[in-house]
Amino acid sequence: MTPTIQQILMGVGAALSAPPPPEAAGDFNASKVGMIGMMSMLAAQEADKAVPVRVVENAAIRAVLRRAAGTTYDAEFSGRISVAVDSVDETLTISALDRANADLRRLLTELHASVENAGDRDLDHIILRLYRAMAEGRRIDLGR
Amino acid sequence: MSLTAQLSAYLGRLWGKPVAIEKMARIPGGASRETYRFEAVSGEDRTPLILRRDPPGSLIETDRRIEFEAIRSFHDLGIPAPNPIAIEEDGAELERPFFIMTKIDGGTAASPFTPGVYAGHEAAIAEQFFGIMGRIAGADPMVLPIGKVADTVALDQAWKRELDYWAGVIDADEQHPQPIVRAAIRKLYANPPPPARKLSVVHGDYRSGNFLHDGKGKIIAILDWEMAHLGDPLEDFGWGTDPLWNHGDASRVSGMVPRDEAIAIWEKRAVDGPRRPALVGPLRLGEGPGDLDLLGQGICRRRL
Repeated sequence: MTPTIQQILMGVGAALSAPPPPEAAGDFNASKVGMIGMMSMLAAQEADKAVPVRVVENAAIRAVLRRAAGTTYDAEFSGRISVAVDSVDETLTISALDRANADLRRLLTELHASVENAGDRDLDHIILRLYRAMAEGRRIDLGR
Repeated sequence: MSLTAQLSAYLGRLWGKPVAIEKMARIPGGASRETYRFEAVSGEDRTPLILRRDPPGSLIETDRRIEFEAIRSFHDLGIPAPNPIAIEEDGAELERPFFIMTKIDGGTAASPFTPGVYAGHEAAIAEQFFGIMGRIAGADPMVLPIGKVADTVALDQAWKRELDYWAGVIDADEQHPQPIVRAAIRKLYANPPPPARKLSVVHGDYRSGNFLHDGKGKIIAILDWEMAHLGDPLEDFGWGTDPLWNHGDASRVSGMVPRDEAIAIWEKRAVDGPRRPALVGPLRLGEGPGDLDLLGQGICRRRL
């Protein structure tokens, strides 16, 4: 699962708002607080770059889809690709960007499976390089 | 009724004598179930125990009976593991299913994200860590208690059962589409490993951080058997040598020894089991520069 910053912060609040029962007040609570600290630190890293990462990733996926639009796929799939290529991130909230990103990622997954089945090595490599860039963009570090 | 009172009532009935519960404390670890340590006091006898109770809900669903029988199997074979005491699958006095085992004192579990945790004792820890892994791999599961309760699988289907299971978990739990994971799953289905050389007990989460050591080079307990199952023993080797658990030292698996040394230790102890393992290399998507390496070292239960 990939919780959102909002979900993490709500979880942090819920976890800290109720006192632990007596049997959970020692090592378990210390471990829980440590985990909350780590999650908060990671959420802070994510919050700082959340919007630009999503804007860049969405644009990169659209660019790959645009390249694929000229490939022969069935009309229904081609139509969905065309719609996605022409879409624009007008609302720069994380939730709006995530909704667009989810749609684009689903389409990318479907495209990649089709590319693999078709044996299109060039487009396969383009998608794999996109994956690398996506992973780097989303990276957050425990040590920071 | 408090958990302490419930435990007192249960153990009193089980042992046929009054039992007081002292020093009850929840502890972290083995996260699919609630884990508590406590002391059961009856007359002059004071017994340190561990309670593992099903939670109201869990991220990972596992079978408590299989976990219990896995611990029993290898405790009885002399592998450092707790001694299982009792299991109640209907919950009895504790209202939720649970089991109780002995508590092993005197050790700590290292965080796999802390560097240098085995400093000065790496070789000794590795000899035991990969040696025990090999003994688990080499054991005949059908003569062990776990062999009576865990599902068997054909040698050429062990990989697929695990991949089907974890792909299903991702289908059920995925909150945001993960195209890289989906590509990895397709890659694994398209490139299955060779059939398992033998059917083994797979611990399922055998890694640095899931054992207790005394700080002087001795492993005193293998923990977290909740993912135990029957399958390809290379699952444990793949998971245990995953770079995720190398304590930040890329030259040593599990922060202990180079990978070849780990394989040699494992092979030496996997008596009647697999020899030179048919380990696949790191899972790689594509072959060109800039294509994607994934970190998996073999077929393992959690990394797809």
